Amino acid sequence: MNRIALTAVFAALLTLFVFAEPSFAQEAASEPFAEIDRPDPTGTGLRAAATPVAEEIHSFYDNILVPMKLGISFFVLALLIYVIVRFNKRANPEPAKFTHNTPAEVAWTIIPVFILLIIAVPSFDLLFIEDKMPDTETFNYEASPTTEYAFENDFPASRRVVKSRHVEVRAIGADGSSRTLEAGDDYAVSGLGDEVVRVTLANSLPSGERLQIAAGRTRVGRKPVLGIFGRDQSTLVPAPTITLKATGYQWGWAYSYPDFGDFEFDALIMPEEQSGPELYRLATTNDIVVPAGETVRVITTARDVIHSWTIPNFGIKIDAVPGRLNETWFYTEHESTYYGQCSEICGKDHAFMPISVRVVSRDEFEAWVDERREFEGLEPMFADQELASNDEAGAVVAAALK
Amino acid sequence: MSTTHVVDNAAEAHADDHDHGAPPSFFVRWFYSTNHKDIGLLYLIFAILAGVVGGAMSGLMRVELMEPGIGPLTAFTGGDIEAAKNFYNVLITYHGLIMIFFMVMPALIGGFGNWFVPIMIGAPDMAFPRMNNISFWLYGASATLLFLSMLAPGASGQIGFGGGWVLYPPLSTQGGPAMDLLIVSLHLAGASSILGAINFITTIFNMRAPGMTLHKMPLFAWAVLVTAFLLVLSLPVLAGAITMLLTDRMFGTAFFDAARGGDPILYQHLFWFFGHPEVYILILPAFGIISHIVSTFSKKPVFGYLAMAYAMVAIGFIGFIVWAHHMYTVGLSVDMKAYFVAATMVIAVPTGVKIFSWIATMWGGSIDFKVPMLWAIGFIFLFTVGGVTGVVLANAGIDHYFHDTYYVVAHFHYVLSLGAVFAIFAGWYYWHEKMFGRAYSEIIGQLHFWVMFVGVNLIFFPQHFLGLQGMPRRYIDYPVDFAFWNEISTYGYYVTLLAMFIWLAGVVEALVFRKSGQGRDNPWGEGATTLEWTLPSPPPFHQFNELPKIK
Repeated sequence: MNRIALTAVFAALLTLFVFAEPSFAQEAASEPFAEIDRPDPTGTGLRAAATPVAEEIHSFYDNILVPMKLGISFFVLALLIYVIVRFNKRANPEPAKFTHNTPAEVAWTIIPVFILLIIAVPSFDLLFIEDKMPDTETFNYEASPTTEYAFENDFPASRRVVKSRHVEVRAIGADGSSRTLEAGDDYAVSGLGDEVVRVTLANSLPSGERLQIAAGRTRVGRKPVLGIFGRDQSTLVPAPTITLKATGYQWGWAYSYPDFGDFEFDALIMPEEQSGPELYRLATTNDIVVPAGETVRVITTARDVIHSWTIPNFGIKIDAVPGRLNETWFYTEHESTYYGQCSEICGKDHAFMPISVRVVSRDEFEAWVDERREFEGLEPMFADQELASNDEAGAVVAAALK
Repeated sequence: MSTTHVVDNAAEAHADDHDHGAPPSFFVRWFYSTNHKDIGLLYLIFAILAGVVGGAMSGLMRVELMEPGIGPLTAFTGGDIEAAKNFYNVLITYHGLIMIFFMVMPALIGGFGNWFVPIMIGAPDMAFPRMNNISFWLYGASATLLFLSMLAPGASGQIGFGGGWVLYPPLSTQGGPAMDLLIVSLHLAGASSILGAINFITTIFNMRAPGMTLHKMPLFAWAVLVTAFLLVLSLPVLAGAITMLLTDRMFGTAFFDAARGGDPILYQHLFWFFGHPEVYILILPAFGIISHIVSTFSKKPVFGYLAMAYAMVAIGFIGFIVWAHHMYTVGLSVDMKAYFVAATMVIAVPTGVKIFSWIATMWGGSIDFKVPMLWAIGFIFLFTVGGVTGVVLANAGIDHYFHDTYYVVAHFHYVLSLGAVFAIFAGWYYWHEKMFGRAYSEIIGQLHFWVMFVGVNLIFFPQHFLGLQGMPRRYIDYPVDFAFWNEISTYGYYVTLLAMFIWLAGVVEALVFRKSGQGRDNPWGEGATTLEWTLPSPPPFHQFNELPKIK
């Protein structure tokens, strides 16, 4: 009776797991990004990825960890079912007496080591990507009929551009549209690891298009699983252009943008009457506003007790500790509003200090900064002026090489 | 153990004839107790009472979390929402502390350890019987302070300390005497455990019967030996950490106060240097019990005995060098995280050896699915599930997503609530007749297992999904989108509660409707080879007046 029940329940569990795990069946296609990503009420997978780092987390979780955890669980389950069916006292009245089987023991010691190694390699890769601040430099060149371009490889020795994967070449149209060129087909890179790296285009760009070269080691995004399966969708993430400082306190967050003047604002939980029931406990009285397509450096600290700043869609979480400055970063191209919740117990209202980030275009961001500055009685920063770019620096190098 | 054969146990049948007099009066027997079996029983009763309290607390939490919004808990605070928020934090804090320090540890180490380690190694009692007594009663003092602490003023004019069982400063340096009482309570619990651990180490090293070499010693004794070392080495570090906390609170020191040159993260390192071995302290004795049960009911000796013993030693050792995997988000350097990722994943190897060796013990066996075996098989599978989610969490890159979410809650309840607790019930039924001299009801026991198996999985499996969707832990209230799985989880609690009543019915049935004195020496037959099965059930007040000789 128990034999049958155990088998039945375990087999049912097995079936259940397979169907409960969406990422197991689902191809790792990047899902279209919802307007606002809220938790899926019956969801059984990770939250939608809004950053290349989150893409990598998805890829690692879906392609390596889920097969690992389901595979091992099923394997143990299958062994148990087999043992229950085959070696119960009715099926096998005479027990064997063996207590050793060297090949089996060696196998179940060595094979897990290999499984762990398969996990460890992408795991370390992911960890170092998450924890190293991006330092990719972007060089822009004037539209010109030349096919020879160059940039200075002035990174620290450990971060120097030495592989063609460290270089990305894009053609930027007059309307701002971007087209990534294929290494080998469209251009060749020479001088990798030297002080000056040269990029030679196969054909000069059509008139109106200008060239942009990104160079650095911060290549983030979905990569082929185990280096073999799937497409490489990673990109070089630029060095941060914005710093956001988040200060946790009981019970809310204070934010400041050291690059944009001396202003600070508080973000408290938005009352239910204003947020509506769906966003209550997620929405705040003041969104953090950042531009899409730029890397944001987040630094966190706290005034009283430890808090933790997180946005699941970005795949980041960093504690805010009194007396310390912690650092992390995110980069997203998806304009939307994202929500997180304090993730370190901080007292009575721990559940009521959410985090909200609104990702907007650069223009909207600048307008928002000026609005904030006006609110604080400061001069506008962006009105009537163009954003300084490193166009000039790139042009100087290009000119020097001619 | 195939290697353990009792040659000379004939004297045992008459052992009670030459006892040192009859058991003493009730008060002297139970309050001045120096008898390992009586103390073991006291520990079990203590653990049951603590389990009822801790389980009731989880009930309050689950009822509160059944729907978004703050509701049921306000019934306990006179409708005061702010007090209810604090009360929830108090519940999670004390639930954790009670279940770890006052339920699982007393049940596995104090209870089964005291009862069976001396018998299994052929010793008449523990090495230091009077120290054994003070170990137990320190626990009583510690529990008293813990409950007082729940009623004492805490932070922001509220009652009790609500900062989680980890007691992280600066949250734990705020507020009133609730925290001070808690610190002293943990000091006493720690002292009790250290004394108990010294007692076990001394007993196991010095009081083994002739011929009982370490390499013939039953695995439960091995498990308790390793556990005792973990206790002795880790608890002083906790004691240091909470003493620093106490002086920060009371005497103006600033070990953990960043504003005056201290560091809150220092506390976390110290705490987890204790805290990580602590989780192995909870699970290693469970490993030992499961090994015995699997072997007994498969009618086969334990597969790979030495590998099983040294796997526990390895787990215990590695358990000391992985602590910062609880701290991936505090701002450790990336190289430090990388080290802790690597070290943590290594634990999967000896743990895998244990899982596969249990299955190999069953392989070729003639398995009898009696109640203890059901719990043991349930343990093996559920511990595997908790183990693989542990490997997921070991990766710092992924833990930046999962840290402090319900995924972590699901993980550690799979290894503890469905691991350690299943092993406790397995041991309870396995040794029921031995301890109480009467059999349990097979029907009630099986019903208990099946209802509980469904219940706990219903509670904790959906919590993986909540974690994947990003719900943080220690939240009294949550966005409406998290409602569905929370509601399922609460239904799971009701099912588990029913299972606990079935268990209670089994206890009542056995103790009230069955007569003592009919216990069989060995109800399990040829598969049960350890020394406790050579004694009458219950064993005489003093056993092994003549030591058994092991071939």
